[in-house]
Amino acid sequence: MSSRVRPRASRRAIGIWVIALLVAVVATIQVRSQAEVVRSLVGTDTTSLAFLIDDLHRANDALDAEKTALSQRQATLASGTGTAADQVLSEEANRLRAAEGLVPVHGPGVVLVVNAAGLQALDLQDALNNLAVGGAEAIAVNDHRVVLGVPIEQTPSGVNIQGALVPPPWTIAAIGDANRLAQAADLMTQQMRADRRVRQATYRVEPDLAIRAVVNARPFVYGVGP
Amino acid sequence: MSRQRLVSILVVAAVAMATGFVVAGQVKVQLLTPSNQVARYQALVRSVQDLEATNADSRRSIAALRAQIDALEAAAAQRSAATQDLQSQVADLRAHAGLTRLHGPGVEIQLVNGVAGPDQGVQTGYLVNFQDVQDITNLLFAQGAEGVSVNGRRITPLSAFSGSADQIVIDQGPPISSPIKVLAVGDRNRMEAALNDPSAVPDIRARQVQFQLGLTFGGSPDLALPAYDSSLEVPHVVTG
Repeated sequence: MSSRVRPRASRRAIGIWVIALLVAVVATIQVRSQAEVVRSLVGTDTTSLAFLIDDLHRANDALDAEKTALSQRQATLASGTGTAADQVLSEEANRLRAAEGLVPVHGPGVVLVVNAAGLQALDLQDALNNLAVGGAEAIAVNDHRVVLGVPIEQTPSGVNIQGALVPPPWTIAAIGDANRLAQAADLMTQQMRADRRVRQATYRVEPDLAIRAVVNARPFVYGVGP
Repeated sequence: MSRQRLVSILVVAAVAMATGFVVAGQVKVQLLTPSNQVARYQALVRSVQDLEATNADSRRSIAALRAQIDALEAAAAQRSAATQDLQSQVADLRAHAGLTRLHGPGVEIQLVNGVAGPDQGVQTGYLVNFQDVQDITNLLFAQGAEGVSVNGRRITPLSAFSGSADQIVIDQGPPISSPIKVLAVGDRNRMEAALNDPSAVPDIRARQVQFQLGLTFGGSPDLALPAYDSSLEVPHVVTG
């Protein structure tokens, strides 16, 4: 009797071991596969990567445009005529004065109006940075020209721009690519309206917006050039 | 073989077959999908790496072109007093725009990621983010900085900060992350006093306490800032 039971029992045991082995293999593959996904996704998710790719494409396009513009300037200067050099230098001076906020400018853009109680200098700095990310090339707040480097400070009386008190409502004019700026302004005003401190947050697109205010130039006191 | 035994064998076979189908389905859904996710993710990473390489090449080309233009302008300026005057104006404007190297006394600031809390979930308060860099940069300019650079990227009047989580994007550069080194040339004492002020950069101060976010700084008699190496075009702006 016992000699007939033992082989059947051992076959059963082998079957169970084979099944257990298969389960273990499948489980191991599954766990490793998931671990690989987790390991490779650490830090950055695919959505962030997609945004990063979009940003890098835009950045590289801007760098290509800059290379083209610089190559043209180089070619003009290499032609060797004094008139060509003067023209290149004059155009460069105008472009830099505009970028540094030293001259009045105009162009397409958006105008945001924000009326709120209790907004701080940090809120204004965030708003201006959002517009800069959206491609703003010139910005003014209540007719005060702003570029990065112009002091925006919180004082007991409110927000100061380069020493001048700028009470709300804030009218923020930004010149640049009107489509990109409109997208940025739309998102900003939606977010602002969700803030209980904000009574009004609107924007409008302007085909030709003028910014007359200029930044007061600050000569270097400590910095020395190359 | 009895009929009862035959039935039990068939039942066991049917259950085994059903289990096999379930396992196969599970393997297909949960093994293949993650492997596809990995492939997709790796493709995205490769795209980012390629774009970053192109970005670095372009910025090198821009720096080289600017150096060549400088040399050509200097040569032209030697031939005419008017050109020399123009070149001097442009040199001053370029210096203030961050297009040329700058050195002088200043402060060096280090921002380092803190420690994630045990129950923080998806919160990223322990990470240095773009708003931290923006706040520090604004504070330094408000306290007399004449030039600022962040991890070797020079800040210009048109600079913008963006990013997500610990990825910080400045202008057209590739993303950077902790540790962040900010250099500022200017009134060293004023900048150090502002950084010592406990009411300055309140968000960073709060996260220093909550997450041990790192903010350290020190003065230096001579810091060197690199020149900006990206685009400073203003194609939509017309002067006048």
